[in-house]
Amino acid sequence: MRPFSHRLASVAGLAFCVSLSAVASAENSQTSMPANPPVVVQKNVAAASATKGFSSDLERGAYLAKAGDCIACHRGNADNAPPYAGGYAIASPMGSIISPNISPSKIAGIGTYSEQDFSRALRKGIRKDGAYLYPAMPYTAYAGLSDQDVHALYIYFMQGVAPVDEKPQAVTKLSFPFNLRLLMSGWNLLFLHDKPFKNNPKVSDEINRGHYLVDTLAHCSTCHSPRNFFMAESRRRYLTGTSVGGWYAPNITPDETEGIGSWSEEEIARYLKTGHVNGKAQAAGSMAEAIEYSLRFLSDADLRAMAAYLKTVAPQNLTGAKQSRFSFENKTPAHLVDVEPVTSRTAMAMSDAGSVDGQLLYENACASCHGRNGEGTADHFYPSLTHNSATGGLVADNLVMTILNGIERKSNDGIAGMPSYADELNDSQIAAIANYVISRFGNKAIPPVSIQQVADFRANKSTPALLMRMMPWLLSGAGFIFIVVMLIGFFRLKSLFKKRPSH
Amino acid sequence: MEYDADVIVIGSGALGNNAAYELAKQGKSVIILEAGKSIPRWKITENFRTSPRKNNYNDPYPNAATAPTSFAKDYIENTGSFAYLPGMLKLVGGTTWHWAACAWRYLPSDMKLKSLYGVGRDWPISYDDLEPYYCRAEEALGVSGRSDEDQSGQGRKHFPPRSKEYPMPSDGINYMTSRMNDRLGKLGYRFVQEPSARPTNQPYDGRPACSGNNNCMPVCPIGSMYSGDVHARHSVKAGAKLLTEATAFKLEKGSGNKIEAVHYRTAKGEDKKLTARYFIVAAHGFETPKLLLMSDVANSSDQVGRNIMDHNGLAIQFLADEPLWAGRGTVEEACIVNMRDGNHRRRYAASKHNIGNAVPNMAVTERLIAQGIFGKELDERIRHDAARWVDISSMLETLPMPSNRVIPHPTKRDALGLPTLSVHYDVPAYTEAAKDIIMRDYRRIAAGMNGSIVNEVSEWQNHDHIMGSVIMGKNPADSVVNGECRSFDHPNLFLATTGVIPAAGVVNPTLTGVALAIRTADIIAREV
Repeated sequence: MRPFSHRLASVAGLAFCVSLSAVASAENSQTSMPANPPVVVQKNVAAASATKGFSSDLERGAYLAKAGDCIACHRGNADNAPPYAGGYAIASPMGSIISPNISPSKIAGIGTYSEQDFSRALRKGIRKDGAYLYPAMPYTAYAGLSDQDVHALYIYFMQGVAPVDEKPQAVTKLSFPFNLRLLMSGWNLLFLHDKPFKNNPKVSDEINRGHYLVDTLAHCSTCHSPRNFFMAESRRRYLTGTSVGGWYAPNITPDETEGIGSWSEEEIARYLKTGHVNGKAQAAGSMAEAIEYSLRFLSDADLRAMAAYLKTVAPQNLTGAKQSRFSFENKTPAHLVDVEPVTSRTAMAMSDAGSVDGQLLYENACASCHGRNGEGTADHFYPSLTHNSATGGLVADNLVMTILNGIERKSNDGIAGMPSYADELNDSQIAAIANYVISRFGNKAIPPVSIQQVADFRANKSTPALLMRMMPWLLSGAGFIFIVVMLIGFFRLKSLFKKRPSH
Repeated sequence: MEYDADVIVIGSGALGNNAAYELAKQGKSVIILEAGKSIPRWKITENFRTSPRKNNYNDPYPNAATAPTSFAKDYIENTGSFAYLPGMLKLVGGTTWHWAACAWRYLPSDMKLKSLYGVGRDWPISYDDLEPYYCRAEEALGVSGRSDEDQSGQGRKHFPPRSKEYPMPSDGINYMTSRMNDRLGKLGYRFVQEPSARPTNQPYDGRPACSGNNNCMPVCPIGSMYSGDVHARHSVKAGAKLLTEATAFKLEKGSGNKIEAVHYRTAKGEDKKLTARYFIVAAHGFETPKLLLMSDVANSSDQVGRNIMDHNGLAIQFLADEPLWAGRGTVEEACIVNMRDGNHRRRYAASKHNIGNAVPNMAVTERLIAQGIFGKELDERIRHDAARWVDISSMLETLPMPSNRVIPHPTKRDALGLPTLSVHYDVPAYTEAAKDIIMRDYRRIAAGMNGSIVNEVSEWQNHDHIMGSVIMGKNPADSVVNGECRSFDHPNLFLATTGVIPAAGVVNPTLTGVALAIRTADIIAREV
């Protein structure tokens, strides 16, 4: 079970919307069932849904399912579990969200879904039975999918996936009040912008295609955009980076210093395909998973389109960073006599593993691969720690998370891996190594890593969890929000009903 | 009766931990006892880096008085004509911390030595019985290798038979092997790649791919090479309880010839007792028979501690006439296997030549300094000689002889007050009979590389591969355990050690030991 807290950030946001249950209940009493808005038939945008290269909707749907990274969550727990069997547990502070079986089984999966049902789940976050999905399902991003693509995905899931007639054994059981799925209706009213993607006539087809992929299927901003008070993505700070489940998803706007402005389009596309660009960055955590399960299967043209689009996003430097995180160097090579001091040969000294000397620990736990001077191997199979976004960024989060959790990333040029050091090193030792690495190979402006920070990362107490802990106070202080939200909800509802086409 | 565990495993080396993991995975309650401590890899790496004795493979490992390694002063006393002093460690993970990860399968003929060649003993089980467990052991250890070679050296197609390919491909033939193969292949020498318990081109089971530190012995600094600590961690995560600094000193008999309890002594000298339904002694090829003899169990055959075998070794070093650059990849890359099998085994020992692939700078430099070469010339000569250095060591088959024996030392005691070891070993005549043939072969090989010989080692060498000490067989009168590795005397006592191996072959027995240990765990899991 791995935390997918980046998606759950929005679930945590639910807490702020507890008050919305009132809205939802009101809606419920009006309509006797949760609102069941029919799918709005949208005039769609051809450039977005490239159809070239596919002989059938089935084939295209299979590709789109990859692009949407559906399998990352809807996999089973066993390595040999059939595709889309579900059961994968998405950890959250409120309990585990168990991904459902989305194979076309009529008894255990979505075999009874009509295309409309399917579309409603995908784009509006509502199940066939009317229950609301948690935003662990990125329906706010999928909302922009074209009808053609939803159709192709539907064909794929109905015809291209083998039915698995078994539901996952575990069931989602969140603690109160998050177990009330109806809460989501209120949140959706505020934050689900279920408009289809629209082509921008002023830019090239390639950039439009890239924009469509980045914002819908690939749902990049789910992780890379910071979230507002309600834990909904900030549009103003689109792709400027944020913490997600312990990892830091960095600024990927084309700002020259804080973002990826120094990357060529080719490098961005290569990164999405292989998970690394030597001397710049390598994917870990949920980005490694996105590459392993999804991005590496995209066509070169699509990856290039995504890269081209990302280069057109508004560059933002929110922190005033002065030096690109990819550019830090080691200017003080270490000498052998410093790192291999004469030590005691008593049995006691030779089994005392309590040292918190960052240099000594780095030399013995890290340098055999990453080099005494952080230079890595010549082929970057073991990456350099200089010229590396994990050590040159604004925070040490990804460095600490990598030491704790290791990396295993399957991509199109092999499997990259680093072992986890969680069992071998204690919190003080990991902090010492991280601080040594940053001070020698990285951005010295990064605040020193504290032992408590490592402990929090180890316990996966990342930002959403902290928010969760503050929840009782936030809730009690949310009385006025309750009223505001009621009013907003009321007006949104009204306008929604107005827009409904009659059947 | 209430038991402390379903199964107690004594010893947390590769074999014990693999058995423990299989049992814990199947929901059995398991306790593992380990005499030494648990020490993280970075600490061992530090101990190696700061060691002034780089070619002493035990040196980076603490030699605690309460958990002495084999090189602790006077821990092993030798009374025979050959000083059998294998490297043996006591810490979580055991001695595979410093093996070279050569993960070979035995040949079917190794297991039928008596019936095919009229010497030694047959195994009570066949290669086919073990084959599925070899596959599981290769998966557990993460072995990379070539599935298409004749590892028997008899000009067959891929051999021995395997139902699954190696979990990972070999990392290819390095330059040295390729050049030697080019030149010696013409003379009829057959090279094969060493199968290696080490990920080559990808991570495996949380271990990184080999980065070519060429330091398998005395410690892989990145934990790429398999060592028993991997399955200590797996076992604990699967629910097993691991007790360190707990030296077992007595197995207690109960009703129905069953073993009922194990007594162990902590590093502080406290004695404790644990009970279990089943016991697996996996405490190394010497320490296992010592424990049985100290406990006066499992020895109705009088064969406990007898029949000890090694792969006694010979060696040659020469300087080839061209640079070969030993040291690229693992320390063991290739072997010449012409004499691994064949009718000559009726008369003299089978053998295998290992082409040493350790970076030779230390040996080269010591030799040059001894010749009085210093300064700039020394640097140039190190570079010149290290590039051309060839170090071939051979492993020879031995036969079980009851007189080759390990016993608890009659008088000497360690810091815990427990007996040290006394070993009597003479190299068997069957092995001696092969010596001249090997030495002649060395000269032919050196000549094939137009080499100048530096050193011919005709004194027998240790190869640390302890077998036979708790020998496996069909007959309770002459064997300690049956084909299940179950004691003939105690139905709930199993031994997981290469000490059960009754016919030695010429390859590192660790993979075979792990395969047997996994098989043992399966048998116990069906009963407990």
